[in-house]
Amino acid sequence: MSERLQSVSNHLQASISNSVGFVCPTKKNPDDVVIIQAKRSAIAKGFKGSFKDLNTDYLLQQFLIEFLKTLPDNLKSNPRLIEEIVCGNVLNYGAGATEHRSACLAAGIPYTTAFMALNRQCSSGLTAVNDIANKIKTGQIEIGLALGVESMTKNYASVNPLGRISEEMKINKEARKCLIPMGITNENIAQQFGISRKEQDEFAANSYKKASNAIKNGLFKNEILPIKTPDGKIVTIDEGPREGVTADSLGNLKPAFIKDKGSTTAGNASQVSDGVAGVLLTRRSVAEKFGFPVIGRYLAFQAVGVPPEVMGVGPAYAIPRVLKDVGLTIDNIDVFEINEAFAAQALYCINKLGIKREKVNPKGGAIALGHPLGCTGARQVATIMNELKTNQIGVVSMCIGTGMGAAAVFIKE
Amino acid sequence: MILQYNIGGNSGYSIQYSPFFDNRLAVASGSNYGLVGNGKLFILDIDERGKIKENNIFITQDCLFDLSWNELHENQVLVAQGDGSLRLFDTTLQKYPIGIFKEHKKEVLSCNWNLITKGTFVSSSWDGAVKMWSPLREQSLLTLLPKSSEQSSKINHNQIAKIPPHVNNNQSTPILQNKDCVYQAQFSPHDNNLIACCSGNSYITLFDTREQNNRFNNNSFIAHSGLETLTLDFNKYRPTVLASSGADNSIKIWDMRMIRNNNSNNTVMPTSNPICMNEIRKAHDLAVRRVVWSPHQSNLLLSTSYDMTSKVWKDFSFDGSKITGKTNSIDPGSGLIKTFHHHTEFVFGADWSLWGQPGFIATTGWDSKVYIWNCFYP
Repeated sequence: MSERLQSVSNHLQASISNSVGFVCPTKKNPDDVVIIQAKRSAIAKGFKGSFKDLNTDYLLQQFLIEFLKTLPDNLKSNPRLIEEIVCGNVLNYGAGATEHRSACLAAGIPYTTAFMALNRQCSSGLTAVNDIANKIKTGQIEIGLALGVESMTKNYASVNPLGRISEEMKINKEARKCLIPMGITNENIAQQFGISRKEQDEFAANSYKKASNAIKNGLFKNEILPIKTPDGKIVTIDEGPREGVTADSLGNLKPAFIKDKGSTTAGNASQVSDGVAGVLLTRRSVAEKFGFPVIGRYLAFQAVGVPPEVMGVGPAYAIPRVLKDVGLTIDNIDVFEINEAFAAQALYCINKLGIKREKVNPKGGAIALGHPLGCTGARQVATIMNELKTNQIGVVSMCIGTGMGAAAVFIKE
Repeated sequence: MILQYNIGGNSGYSIQYSPFFDNRLAVASGSNYGLVGNGKLFILDIDERGKIKENNIFITQDCLFDLSWNELHENQVLVAQGDGSLRLFDTTLQKYPIGIFKEHKKEVLSCNWNLITKGTFVSSSWDGAVKMWSPLREQSLLTLLPKSSEQSSKINHNQIAKIPPHVNNNQSTPILQNKDCVYQAQFSPHDNNLIACCSGNSYITLFDTREQNNRFNNNSFIAHSGLETLTLDFNKYRPTVLASSGADNSIKIWDMRMIRNNNSNNTVMPTSNPICMNEIRKAHDLAVRRVVWSPHQSNLLLSTSYDMTSKVWKDFSFDGSKITGKTNSIDPGSGLIKTFHHHTEFVFGADWSLWGQPGFIATTGWDSKVYIWNCFYP
């Protein structure tokens, strides 16, 4: 009798403890949102790099042509299966709704594939991934492509957000905080949380070191697709990282935002860049139906609001929030790709969350590689998919101008 | 319209419609919740006015956990008994069985008649064995051993032990208890040589009875992430499709075609898993005891659970003619068609009626009740 009773009791116990949500990297469910492909272009230097004469639509078209080539045959020959494309972009008018739709058509995507332009500032590329993932989750679409593209060269100077804001916003105490230049928000963080110039320069120099090592050792090869410029040049190598950057050499630079007292310089802030990246997502049941290879799994995403005057703290709030959703802790994460908008804000977030330094941006971040705004989130996903080993868990996060943070969790398969 | 019958103080474990008479049912039950004491087999008839009446009863020495009508003989019912025996009763006789099949060393938990050859049946037991029998012979024809916990101990370490590597759950203790217990074994309704069974070590194992060396049969896979797999059922229309469920409260739908034999290297992964086409997560609040596919629709199935409900689900991964690639998670109601709330204790047994209007279901459980209801009626 006792054995039979024990058996029933075991069934109940197991099913009760199992009802607590948990993440198991090896447990694959048919309703998982999975990544079939994640690629990016090389990130070119703004104003003087290889993409300086190219519009975003051209970059996008060239990228999509190459991206389609990497897809499984049955998808390549039938791109109609991609039901929706969401493209993140910050600086183009209307986030590039017109020219990027046309770039898709030019690249051979059929007109039946719906297109959406999306702008949530620096998180646009990651928010595009989230948007596609949600549509897959609800069954609205089966296969979708999240993109991010930016030419800061072409559009950075032409956009003046301050020009579009009414007097009423400018005199409102809260509203006008959204107008604070990004550099100043970073100075606020450095000052408020006591992050020294030296620490920032060391962090930046380390980013350069990691990035140039990664390039030297060909660690980006798997994630970069070649972009052919109109003059026939093929661009495959990131242009931001330079060798021999040290904390000392960065120490000579003058503060860029607050003369004399400031600590944010061109050397410890993210670079102005041009680039494009894409992440193709589907449901596992669909991937299995078509036999698509799966490289990773999307778990969750969250965006949170933070005070606009210290917008750089975003990841420090977005990361715990998204980890709570999936029942994980900082220690469970193997790699963090946290966008280095500025060294001070990145340092603040890393220290506040107690993340081990070696887990963060192992191949360098935006300080060395560049931060093509709308592209960055998708770029980080492509990077982290190559950094993680099978069954490892990664977090992609960034701060967002006007006061937000975004973070997403991925598992490599 | 719900029909009801009280099996008087006995706890129902299994129920099955007769394949010969549209108004006849058999119920296997045990006294004292099946934990200790006699078992009782009920033969029930539904009269013209829709009243359930007792046709015959058989009292056994130990609790009865499952039953199966003889597919060749309209008056014969086989029961799986707690003392390790299977007994065949003739419903026109009284008291004594016409056949006893005793080889299992512990409780027999399931029995299932071969629907194709109709001359054999299969049983599964707490002793870790699956046996194939002929009603004409006292000795079993075949003993099959699914992947045992000793064989899979390495795999358990690699796979099961790692299940909560990142989390907050304390499920480590119950995982491997009753590990070799085979909760259910079933013949495929499409291939008379194919048997599937599920065990407490979470494995589902497939046997081809023509294969010589079943001892090391490797056509097995962890079905419910290390937790006990309590039930399975072959789809009646799709030969390669199987539904399973268990202590993880979720129902999974498998396409078996991906299983590969992997004898050479048993230190790594067990085998490559078949495709899990669909999963109904948190189908029930507690462990699921039975899943049964509809005899009328290829994408409809029912489940019973310790949570005192029985539920009917639509399988979104199949639209009646082809695989859709969809999962039930895309439906706001997860594909739930109907929840039957009338039971007041654990619901164990369930069967679809083959007869009359589609959608009639008979359920039984620890509340000593038999209910007949229709999943399409409001």
